[in-house]
Amino acid sequence: MSHHRETGHEEQQLPLTPAMFHVLLTLADEEMHGYAILKEVERRTEGKVRLSAGTLYGIIRRLNEEGWIVESNKRPTAGLDDERRRYYRLTELGRHVAVGEARRLEELLEMARSKKLFSKPKLA
Amino acid sequence: MNPATLPRSQRIFRALLRVLPFDFQTNYGHEMEGVFHEQEREIKERGGPMDFLKLWSETIAGIFRTAPSEHWEILKQDLAYGLRMMRKNAGFTVIAVLTLGLGIGANTAIFSVVHAVLLRPLPYPEGDRLAFIRQQAQKLGINDIAFSTHEIEDYRGQNQTLSGLVEYHTMSFILYGHGDPDRIRTAVVSANYFDLFKVQPLLGRAFLAEDDKLGAPAVLILSYEYWKNKFGADPGILGRTFELNDRLHTVVGVLPPVPQYPVESDVYMPTSACPFRSAQKFIDNRDARMMRAFGRLKPGVTLAQARADLATIAGRLKSEYPKSYPDNMGYAAVSSPLQEELTQGARPTLLVLLAAAVFVLLIACANVANLTLARMSRRERELAVRTALGAGRSRLLRQLLTESFLMALVGGALGLVLAYSSLELLTQFAARLTPRAREINIDASVLAFTLLAALGTSIIFGTISAVFTRANLSSSLKEGSTGVGAGQSKNRVRSALIVSQVAFSFMLLIGAGLMLRSLIKMLRVDAGFVPQRVLAMRTTISFSKYAKQEQLVEVIKKILDRVQAEPGVISAAMSSSYPLDSETISVGPNSGTFKIQGRELAPGEAPPVGSYSLISPAYFRTLGIPLNEGREFTEADGGKGPIVAMINEAMKRRFWPNEDPIGRSISYDDGATWATIVGIAGDVREFGLDRPALPEIYIPHSQIAAPSTLSARTMADPRSMGEAIVRAVHEVDPQIAVTHVVTLEQARAESTTSPRVTATLLGIFGGLALVIAAAGIGGIMALAVSQRVREIGIRIALGAQPSKILGMILGHGLLLAAVGVGIGLAGALAVTGLVKSLLFEITPTDPATFLGVAVVLVSAAIIASYLPARRAAAIDPIEALRTE
Repeated sequence: MSHHRETGHEEQQLPLTPAMFHVLLTLADEEMHGYAILKEVERRTEGKVRLSAGTLYGIIRRLNEEGWIVESNKRPTAGLDDERRRYYRLTELGRHVAVGEARRLEELLEMARSKKLFSKPKLA
Repeated sequence: MNPATLPRSQRIFRALLRVLPFDFQTNYGHEMEGVFHEQEREIKERGGPMDFLKLWSETIAGIFRTAPSEHWEILKQDLAYGLRMMRKNAGFTVIAVLTLGLGIGANTAIFSVVHAVLLRPLPYPEGDRLAFIRQQAQKLGINDIAFSTHEIEDYRGQNQTLSGLVEYHTMSFILYGHGDPDRIRTAVVSANYFDLFKVQPLLGRAFLAEDDKLGAPAVLILSYEYWKNKFGADPGILGRTFELNDRLHTVVGVLPPVPQYPVESDVYMPTSACPFRSAQKFIDNRDARMMRAFGRLKPGVTLAQARADLATIAGRLKSEYPKSYPDNMGYAAVSSPLQEELTQGARPTLLVLLAAAVFVLLIACANVANLTLARMSRRERELAVRTALGAGRSRLLRQLLTESFLMALVGGALGLVLAYSSLELLTQFAARLTPRAREINIDASVLAFTLLAALGTSIIFGTISAVFTRANLSSSLKEGSTGVGAGQSKNRVRSALIVSQVAFSFMLLIGAGLMLRSLIKMLRVDAGFVPQRVLAMRTTISFSKYAKQEQLVEVIKKILDRVQAEPGVISAAMSSSYPLDSETISVGPNSGTFKIQGRELAPGEAPPVGSYSLISPAYFRTLGIPLNEGREFTEADGGKGPIVAMINEAMKRRFWPNEDPIGRSISYDDGATWATIVGIAGDVREFGLDRPALPEIYIPHSQIAAPSTLSARTMADPRSMGEAIVRAVHEVDPQIAVTHVVTLEQARAESTTSPRVTATLLGIFGGLALVIAAAGIGGIMALAVSQRVREIGIRIALGAQPSKILGMILGHGLLLAAVGVGIGLAGALAVTGLVKSLLFEITPTDPATFLGVAVVLVSAAIIASYLPARRAAAIDPIEALRTE
């Protein structure tokens, strides 16, 4: 039932929510299961972005439906892994969207820089 | 794992998951549990109690944040999908929406009336504390006696339970100075009348206590409608004066647009301004009764307490004034909520119509469910494939319910349009039943009702279709394309739906049939007079100009002579009322007790009661009322001649069953004067075709004159004579107001409006039900034939005659109809008691109606099955066997 959107229209989906972007980023390097994603996001943001089970799977459902991630064929290793786990992998489209979002943020940052927003505040 | 043995935290987590959509749970619930489990384990290893708290609060917040958007996603998809399906099946959609629209429209329309009349509180602050107070002569069967001034004062002064008690009576006065003399409906009320109802005038002021003192300057308050229609809502109306009853009246206020009870009036005046009410003779006489009384319950006082209070006062009056309240009359004073008083006449009719409308909606539901099932069987494989691909069953149920709700919503919108366009007609109809009809409108509550009706409808028909579709999904794939087994169980459901439609239609048609039969009986009833070619009108003669009896008698004679001289007029008469006049019907009989000479009442025995009519000599001839015995009144009666009276047959039957009343004497002033009975007239149904004649006493105008109506029998169409007669009256005195010119045929027809509209509405509902049920039977037969093409082909190939096939299919349709009629019969017998009070000379189990309706329904079923049956009989066996 998922609708895979064609490349080229993903700009319309931007901006992403920070949490969605983090999940996409987290999957950029490797396939992961839900709990690992949650831990990785928390580690990388030094605890600033904390996902709960509910929000995480809401995002996964959405990313899955958009066709930005898919369930990978990787199965949990019997005995070592919780068999409930499923692994997720970034699709080409997902990578494209993540890059788009990164560019958008970069441009935004550029603008902020040109306004000298980052120069030291004058001391009173 | 058995859920009971799970750790508590896991059980709580699972419970939390339930707020998410079912599909989401099945898809991700396991994983989410896993994630939560890991988080918990981690905290157990390296965390404290605060971390647990944080985990739980984040988890709960996360789930509750995710749930709404997930539900919304699904709803969006379902709506889009539903709309797509509706567009794709335009024919089905149109029929379903129309059916539901009619059902919901009927309910919305009737509900708007029920809501305004029966459910909504009176539109005054704390309207539920307003009470109607009445005196009764219970032993005489008179349950509404007007009040005299003394009585009003006694009940007002002695009661402990009312915060106020006001009096009210209506008069017709003539207003001069605005074109033709205008008869204005005037309510004469206590000064604090509007305070009791808590109504603030829109302009000016309410009445003050000073206005009510005898001799105070005469003042008026106009009703909003009269001010708007007669004076174009002129804001400068205050202070203007009008001539009324020979006095100048000053307008001091205008009412806001509030409903007026018990009747609408044009103007209000305080009691001091009414020449009758303020006459000393009237005020002094405890037995001169004219007024009605309204009260407002004190805070915290119940109706029962007020009743007990009134009963105490009545007892006190009885012992203080035994002559006014003799033991044998059964004197009592009672009160009832004003709301009940105003609506009780409408209640049975409205409830019957509401029940009928609900039946129509149920039939519509069953029909649409059937259509949906038929459509589902075409979609079954699609749905089965979707299930196989992992769509949860509850997901499909949800999808189907969304589709049905969409359909019902569009149907509801259509219903609203239908209800809105029928509103004016319904208001006119309801006005026959209750003074609250003007309040009927489509407000937020009615809209909410429509929405609820649509929702309820979609749940009923959506669930029926979804449940039976679901039951068959799993078997559908296994069985392959023929789907015989599932098809059979589904056909049973469809048959059950058809049977229920027939049953409900039967009940509705019984209701319509009974109403129709009793209406016909009512229209055929002999009212006791000949209404053809009689014109009647209300004549209001200035009370002040003709203050003396002789003056009145003289002007009556002049009017009658002048009208009778008009070419084309056969005879003319004046009287206190004419039969079936709408005003007479709403006011009711002018009843009173009388004495029969030579008959002493036993102690405790109730005195005789009769209804009085004041008439001029040619009254019976003009109205075509037969004179059965004795003679009519003549010009010689009354005045200085002998005092005479006439009675009707009902009176004779009641009081002189075995003797001749002619020559006997009766007295209506407690023996002061005796009137000799000189003639007996035939019975007339004065107060409604459905109400038998009351014992009636006719008194000649020359003895007591109250010439409020004029009637004339004409040679040609009476309507063509109207202007000439009015002109003739005005030639005698241009200040006589002549209004409400109608033919007696019109008056007679108008008196049956209420049963006629009830019968029409029930007929429309019943007809609608019949068409829907017949279409349903035709549809299911066609489907059955198309499913059985092969079987029928084989039968024909084996030598079955086409006529036998025809009979087989017709028999099937007939069976469905017969079972439906059987169930409907039982249902009708159980509920026809509801309509009993609306029927006239017919029992609710009238065999002719039951038989007739059964024949109509069964014939409709046969006709509806005929086309599919003929198609079945014409099946070519070779073609049939080839198709698969």
